[in-house]
Amino acid sequence: MKYAFFLGCVIPTKYPQFETVARKSLPKVGVELVDVEGFSCCPEPWNFKSYNIMAWITIAARNLAIAEEAGLDILTLCSGCFATLAEAHHILEDKPELKDEVNKRLSKIGKKYNGTISAKHVVQVLRDDVGAEQIKKSVTHPLEKIRVGVHYGCHVLKPSETLRVDDPADPRILETIIEPLGAEVIPYAERLSCCTGACQDEEMVFKFRYNKLQSLEEAQVDCMTLVCPACFEAFDLGQVMLNRKSEKKFNIPTLYYVQLLGLAQGLKGEEVGITRHKIRSPALLEKLS
Amino acid sequence: MPKIDLDFKKKLTRVEYADFLTYCYQCGACVGDCPSAKLSPAFNPREIVLRVLLGLAEPLLKKDSIIWQCTTCYTCQEVCPQGVRPIEVITALKNIISAQGMLPDSISASVGIIKDTGRVVLVSNVINKRRTEQGLTELKPVPMDELKKIL
Repeated sequence: MKYAFFLGCVIPTKYPQFETVARKSLPKVGVELVDVEGFSCCPEPWNFKSYNIMAWITIAARNLAIAEEAGLDILTLCSGCFATLAEAHHILEDKPELKDEVNKRLSKIGKKYNGTISAKHVVQVLRDDVGAEQIKKSVTHPLEKIRVGVHYGCHVLKPSETLRVDDPADPRILETIIEPLGAEVIPYAERLSCCTGACQDEEMVFKFRYNKLQSLEEAQVDCMTLVCPACFEAFDLGQVMLNRKSEKKFNIPTLYYVQLLGLAQGLKGEEVGITRHKIRSPALLEKLS
Repeated sequence: MPKIDLDFKKKLTRVEYADFLTYCYQCGACVGDCPSAKLSPAFNPREIVLRVLLGLAEPLLKKDSIIWQCTTCYTCQEVCPQGVRPIEVITALKNIISAQGMLPDSISASVGIIKDTGRVVLVSNVINKRRTEQGLTELKPVPMDELKKIL
């Protein structure tokens, strides 16, 4: 299984530990990551799309065209990159006139997007192409007794008509790939709520995140896990900021899914980079050792 | 008297299905599950769609517009029985605000970084040093000549 590894912007710059652990742990389940030159920002599906949707889809098509030239489907760790690239692909297939217009622009740099590849989120690759069995076979240090609260985020699931990953009202994809690691997935009331990264109202953002963290705390999780760097920022750095404004102080460590995978495959806490996070939990490290 | 723009709905970009809004029959399903509407009664996706349909969208087209309270979570889109895509209507409105040079400062700054460097985060020596420490390669600059030509 070979994929063009689409790094995006936020992970390789702010959170390279996720890239490091992906490069170590994905080959162990048979996924080969190929570095392809020339990718830019996907571009991100909130601010840049708000700025100009035509510019957004043109840059996305250039990225897709680069992977197509390499003859590879795209794998990304980021829900934002996934949403942009998968949506752009869908729209271009659905609207041939728009595709012509975008390709006219791409022709200025000698590129063309034919629509022969697809962009996949790492969780899709793990569920559909690798499979739970294969994941389980790679586990040497099962995460027994680790209580995980799953945060889906929005852009890996919605709009479901375009992305077709799972049912956004009752998704199972993360549970499917966490359970083989031996961890216990704990349901909680705010499981499907948004990180609110795109909301521009500070007061609302505070309330959203407070409710989510409160719900996780009530469920007595050891950590939450997620698959989007914007969500990660919202609940790692965001939790520190929230604690500054809030009388109540939360301490819920946030782990990227690939970090859980790496830990279950025998990597140490430091090697998967959890010691670099803002929210640290000695209790979790203790349980992992 | 509010200004009515009868042709307003035709001004929305059709790149991403904003034109499905004419199917809206104002049932309000989009409001019930909207996380922003829960916390801010002034934010109402049904009303945003209605304003666009009636040509009364002018109050939404400003730098501090209520539409920036949207989290872009797409829940409204999932629950709409008519296949209206309120988020795409909101995105189309944001594009109009942007064309008038009125994007909120934080968004404008983030867009500027992408237009200048091809990435949404500025790559510094510190970042590349941290990458090499972790056994990763340094990030190469994005070919900006190509990006500039296609935009």
